[in-house]
Amino acid sequence: MSLWRLEILRLFRTHRLWILLAVFTSFGVLGPLTARFLPEIVAAFGGGIEISVPPPSPELAMAGYLGNALQIGILAVAFVAAAALAFDAKPEMAVYLRTRATIQRILTPRYTVNMVAAIASFVIGTAVAYVGTAVLIDAPRLGGTLVASMLLAVYLAFVVALTGLAASFVRSVTGAALISVGALIVFGIIGLIPQADQWLPSNLVGSFDALIAGGEFAYGRSLLSTIILSMGSIAASFVLMGRRET
Amino acid sequence: MGSNVVEATEITKRYGETLALDGVSLSVRRGSVYGLVGPNGAGKTTLLGVLAGLRTPTEGSFTVDASRVAVLPDTPKFDPWMKAREVVDLSLSLVLPGSDPSAVDAILDRTGLLKVAHRRVGGFSRGMLQRLGLAAAVVGNPELLLLDEPAAALDPAGRREVLNMVNDLRGESTVVFSSHILDDVEEVCDEIGILNGGRIVYEGTLEELVRGSSRLPSYRVRVRGNGDQVVDALRVCDWVTDVSGGGDTVIVSAGSAAVIERELVRCLARIDIGVVSVAPLERSLEDVFLEVTR
Repeated sequence: MSLWRLEILRLFRTHRLWILLAVFTSFGVLGPLTARFLPEIVAAFGGGIEISVPPPSPELAMAGYLGNALQIGILAVAFVAAAALAFDAKPEMAVYLRTRATIQRILTPRYTVNMVAAIASFVIGTAVAYVGTAVLIDAPRLGGTLVASMLLAVYLAFVVALTGLAASFVRSVTGAALISVGALIVFGIIGLIPQADQWLPSNLVGSFDALIAGGEFAYGRSLLSTIILSMGSIAASFVLMGRRET
Repeated sequence: MGSNVVEATEITKRYGETLALDGVSLSVRRGSVYGLVGPNGAGKTTLLGVLAGLRTPTEGSFTVDASRVAVLPDTPKFDPWMKAREVVDLSLSLVLPGSDPSAVDAILDRTGLLKVAHRRVGGFSRGMLQRLGLAAAVVGNPELLLLDEPAAALDPAGRREVLNMVNDLRGESTVVFSSHILDDVEEVCDEIGILNGGRIVYEGTLEELVRGSSRLPSYRVRVRGNGDQVVDALRVCDWVTDVSGGGDTVIVSAGSAAVIERELVRCLARIDIGVVSVAPLERSLEDVFLEVTR
């Protein structure tokens, strides 16, 4: 038994991995379905009122997938990560761990396993959305999808890192998750400033639609800042949680 | 440091306005079982937390000359989805990586948990969790074992097993044992520290504590007949500092045990009454504890 195995068991036995997979995969199925059959759905439930909807397109299907998957998915990732990273929420379990291992040794598997789980769930959801779109409508741009998925994977890793940092300020799982989500919203608001946007992690969220639509890659700065902020958050959590009393 | 595993000097711990520890100094000899007793809120758990490195003292200093320190909280809890064997196995692999895995089953057997080793701990009773916590603490052969009320939640059989385990650890590990159950402390501890209001009000052996307390040495005299007659006779003796009782029992106190031992029987011999027994009045740890924490 190791701390790595402990984290993998946590994801399986608490069913949190299945929750993450269910969130991303279900939207991966619904996104293309909704885009393909939106005209029929609107016609069936429109009550005789003529509503104009755009014709089905790969871009619309993938945007529909991502819009829903990220909203719920980020919440799910934050709560799942907080459940592992806010380990001081149970002081007795924290005593068990802290008297046997350093904070780096405790947290490293927690960060890694949760990042991998979040990214894997997202990648699987995106693959389902891609295949569904290709079957029902037309294949989205593969290159754009791959690059955008890579950027979103970095963003999800940032969400996990930010949640870990939040867990070093509050002990509660819910508190850590909500602070993390709140910080992401603040980043989004700051991103409304055009000059700031290109340096913010929230800019990566917009990359998905743009790159799948054939847009140019203009996310180097936000990618760099996201990686630096993620590493900084993790390092800060090592220091802060290491100092915390149990 | 020498033969002491723990050496603490003037440790103070504040939580805002609350003074949890107020200049605590103590020494714990290597291989001994040290009992930390005190009323609720005396600071026992805080002191154990400081010694475990889980809390930082506001003032003062301490040294712990042990590379493996294990702590058993008063209410151990683990992730409910973990199995009992995994809790102990993880503990062993973190503290002594590469150890013989049979040690896990051996300690589970010793704590009476082998039959439920495959079960998730979420369904364990408090007593089972306490045994599991003890197993996880002991499996790593700690040099210093800090036990916070280890028998508080156990039934009499479980309590006996814990006390036996602590007794078995004597000499192998140094044990600091906090407890409200003074009988347990009396049974297993070589030395005790009494903590009251964040201060150590006594530190030393039990014998020294009982002998050296402020109460005068006393003897109990049991007679066949009217004890009032004995009370009256003793009251006029100049070596007697206090005498009380009646019926068939009389308690007599003097300035020293030697005086009583020399004079009491001589005095009783002069009274026409049957003496059933004369014995020193043993004082329990509870008596002394209540006296020093008053």
